[in-house]
Amino acid sequence: MVVAAVLVVSLMNFFQKEVRSLFYFFSAPIQKVLFRAGDSTSDFLQGVAQVKTLKQELDEFKLENQELLGQVVALESLNKENKSLRQALDLGLQEDFKLSLAQIIGKDISQDFILIDKGAQDNILKDMPVITQQRVLVGKISEVYDNFSKVMLISYEESSFDAKIGDISGVVKGQGNFRILFDLIPREENIYEGDIVVTSVLGGIFPEGLLVGRIKKIKRSDVEPFQQAEIEPFFDISQTNNLFIILEF
Amino acid sequence: MFKKILISIIVFYFLVLIQTSFLVHFTIFNAVPNLVLISVIIWNFLEKRRNYFGVINGLIGGFFLDIFSGRLIGFYVLILAGLAIFIKLIFKRYVRIQ
Repeated sequence: MVVAAVLVVSLMNFFQKEVRSLFYFFSAPIQKVLFRAGDSTSDFLQGVAQVKTLKQELDEFKLENQELLGQVVALESLNKENKSLRQALDLGLQEDFKLSLAQIIGKDISQDFILIDKGAQDNILKDMPVITQQRVLVGKISEVYDNFSKVMLISYEESSFDAKIGDISGVVKGQGNFRILFDLIPREENIYEGDIVVTSVLGGIFPEGLLVGRIKKIKRSDVEPFQQAEIEPFFDISQTNNLFIILEF
Repeated sequence: MFKKILISIIVFYFLVLIQTSFLVHFTIFNAVPNLVLISVIIWNFLEKRRNYFGVINGLIGGFFLDIFSGRLIGFYVLILAGLAIFIKLIFKRYVRIQ
């Protein structure tokens, strides 16, 4: 019986895509309900557990909000200036991305992959970038089924792409388990904790200016030619339901 | 026997769905509890030494874990079935319950 089971399982590897697609098709409605239920339950429990710290955070956010409002005003004036300069130079404004909305229906058991409810039938192709509503980079499509796709998160161990802080470029590498590292930053460049890492167009994998994360800890060694920094990613799949797939950029 | 296997298939299917979609929101240091693995271990610990249904449970649970992970189908089947056999062997050889 065990031998028969092993034979069947190895045969299934030849039809992996079809077998998985079939299971995902039947499971998707249940998974969607479970995912939403988990989301609301964890929100409720977090709220109860963190009432004390929430008030403190609220005060901090109020202060931060005031600072940001000031920045928004400054940026608005810059935007106006930018528009008029573009008109003067006769440049068309960069078109927004062509997006497709998708919902998360599950997470891979051991690796940094998630499953979304859009697939080949919705014109999704391999390697398309996936972002959140706030332009935060989540990952890229790694496998496409008929109605579903697997998204390789940027924290997956084999994921790496070009990114930058201002003019300082480097490479963001996945470390597994939702951890990411900003690597190959020249040693003479000064980066600070709290700096925001965004994608750069260098690698051609992702469009420019998508948010990646905030620098958490810098690792500098006299022996190494480059410095590294741990990044606290902006994406949090337990707090996100809807994602956007960039169809064209 | 057939009835037992059918129940086991349904139970493990729902355990995997809960694990991949519900428990993702309740991580402990970014780790999600592996319900299937825990169930297989507990089953094999509590089962009578002569029974081998725990190994079949390992195969079924492993299969569902494989379907919902990016690895080759068979990876978790081998791990869980191997684990079940290992627990059975240890109990058979080294544990004596009065």
